Amino acid sequence: MDSGSLISRRGILGMVGAAGAAAALSACGSSLGGGSAGGESGGGVKVGLLIPQAGVYTPLGVDMQRGWDLWLKQHGGKLGGMPVTTVVADEGESPQTGVPALQRLIQSDNVDVVVGIVSSSTALGVRDMVTESKKVLMVANAGANDITAAAASPYIWRTSFTNSQVAAAMGEYLAKENPQDSVFLIASDYAAGDEAMAGFKEAFEAGGGKIAGMAKPPFGETQDYQPFLAKIKSSGAKATFCFFAGSEAVTFVKQYRQFGLAKSVPLYGSGFLTEGGVLDAQGDAALGVQTSLHYTSELDNPANQAFRESYEKAYDAVPTVYSVQSWDAANTLDRALRESGSAEGDALSKALGQLGEIDDSPRGPWQFEGQTPKQAFYLRKVVEEDGTLVNSVVAETDPVGQTS
Amino acid sequence: MVPAWFDAVFVSILNGAAIGCLLFILAVGLSLVFGMMDVLNLAHGAIFLAGAYIGWWVGGQSPTWAGFLVAIGIATLFGVVSGGALSAVTEPLRNRSHLDQALLTLGIALVLAELLALAFGSDVRSVGAPPGLNGAVTILGNAYPTYRLALIGVGVVLAVALWLLVSRTMVGAIIRGTVNDREMISAIGIDERKVKLAVFAVGSALAAVAGVLGGPIYGAAPGLDATVLILALVVVVIGGLGSVRGALVGALVIGQIESLGRALFADATSFILFGSLALVLVLRPRGLFAAPGVAAR
Repeated sequence: MDSGSLISRRGILGMVGAAGAAAALSACGSSLGGGSAGGESGGGVKVGLLIPQAGVYTPLGVDMQRGWDLWLKQHGGKLGGMPVTTVVADEGESPQTGVPALQRLIQSDNVDVVVGIVSSSTALGVRDMVTESKKVLMVANAGANDITAAAASPYIWRTSFTNSQVAAAMGEYLAKENPQDSVFLIASDYAAGDEAMAGFKEAFEAGGGKIAGMAKPPFGETQDYQPFLAKIKSSGAKATFCFFAGSEAVTFVKQYRQFGLAKSVPLYGSGFLTEGGVLDAQGDAALGVQTSLHYTSELDNPANQAFRESYEKAYDAVPTVYSVQSWDAANTLDRALRESGSAEGDALSKALGQLGEIDDSPRGPWQFEGQTPKQAFYLRKVVEEDGTLVNSVVAETDPVGQTS
Repeated sequence: MVPAWFDAVFVSILNGAAIGCLLFILAVGLSLVFGMMDVLNLAHGAIFLAGAYIGWWVGGQSPTWAGFLVAIGIATLFGVVSGGALSAVTEPLRNRSHLDQALLTLGIALVLAELLALAFGSDVRSVGAPPGLNGAVTILGNAYPTYRLALIGVGVVLAVALWLLVSRTMVGAIIRGTVNDREMISAIGIDERKVKLAVFAVGSALAAVAGVLGGPIYGAAPGLDATVLILALVVVVIGGLGSVRGALVGALVIGQIESLGRALFADATSFILFGSLALVLVLRPRGLFAAPGVAAR
């Protein structure tokens, strides 16, 4: 008995030790990409790159870091003529990890600008901290409408999209193409899904479309969509619009095909449904799925061709919307810093507001309107080209800004 | 003439049976280890996930039958080895509280999940069904994936085999004896630690195999381990500890709640799931079919 409990206590100690070592290691890892953590170097600009390095959003974080690193590599490691030090921090999955990470970047690492943030709740959660510190935050993914609307801050800018904007582009397009068809809406039951459904519904109904029904599968705990697919089928809808991302996008698209709906009720969605790694996992089940997004690697413009070529050369991977968003974050900061000459929040924000059209983005020309992009959207269809699945362009919308 | 709503409900019931069978294969191992050997093994979900990754790694996105069967073989082997290891590390905690066991196995689960994330990355991996089962059949005018039908068959066969093993064989008698009176089993010359090791190995092997079998439905992705662990715990609590029959009934009930419940009352599913759990805990705290002797502790 005694020796037994002794061994176990030692065993537990060993495990705790091992866990501690692992934590220390990963802490080192998170600042590895950042180089020196010392004070500000004269004339340089220090950027905090806040991206998910653990948890379900990690693939997005990888793409965002690649876009950022690639831009810097192509421009001599300088933004607006000033040498850049990048400090990478792990956003994790939720505000519980993301908010303290941003706090560390601002208070301990003393960065001048923060770039990144995948999770909308984190972006909304850091608003007051960013505003008080008077440092510019360039949101490079999070899509909640409020970030640049109800909860806007003069220091928070965005190079990505709003959830409603992406979905509304699809709603408008479908209303124009098939006005008599009724559409079933389905989206994960959380803020982004709600905003996407609302955005689609508003635009689709404004164009004369009819909604056949709505469903909200619980976010993060739905593995089997059969009950919802049965509902779609019995609703008599002629098409389905959905918002899913990550593993749920894979499961939903695969089951949509397995249960035979793909043949009879075409699937439409916000572009994240088939963007990046999830498309490979969906495989042939994704063929024919149509989505709207402000980027696809298949865009036929000189800026994207050059971007894609250097991206593929550097990382042996096809660029995604996530890498373009952080690439554009670097691009806009570069232009603004050239004007302001300093990374101080007020001056930089003012310069960002006066940028006008960004004409060399891989996504095509866009500009800030209300601190978030006014941009064109692409209707994309999943097709097979030379054995790989790609989102090929079907149509393009006029540039639209944030609607709600 | 069957009314139209019946088609959808029938497919949902069928689907509930398929999900239930998968849950049974997953949960019966947990039930045996906890109910019979009195060890709360929270690493069960992580072993399921490891099995799912083995299925993807060996078979790929569209596995051949050979690949699929080899994956099941490797997963079985992995389950036996990791079950043995879990049995060994929990042995010193045998007479301590369940909380100590839970902390240790939860720690192991976190480490294992992290190792899997390191090895396979954080991308979602999807696995197809082997040829012949990767299509769909038409049932009452609704397409239904063939693989899920096959899963019902596998679940029934496993349930019968396990039930026979535990209730009709010498091995089963020794296992049940260990549950009831450990000292007596030792007194007649059987090393009860070996019994525990064997039950642990079989239970973990079942979890890993469930991971491979669940691949075509759930895929493999970080976080799946926690989801299935919670479902398995609910199944075990509803069905009762240490009983094959209880695990089967619990799994089928949860399968129906997950499928038919969602189809009929989409917004209240989580409530029904945990509401029925609470109801069982209040009315029959030992579960619907607890093995005799389990409550003695």
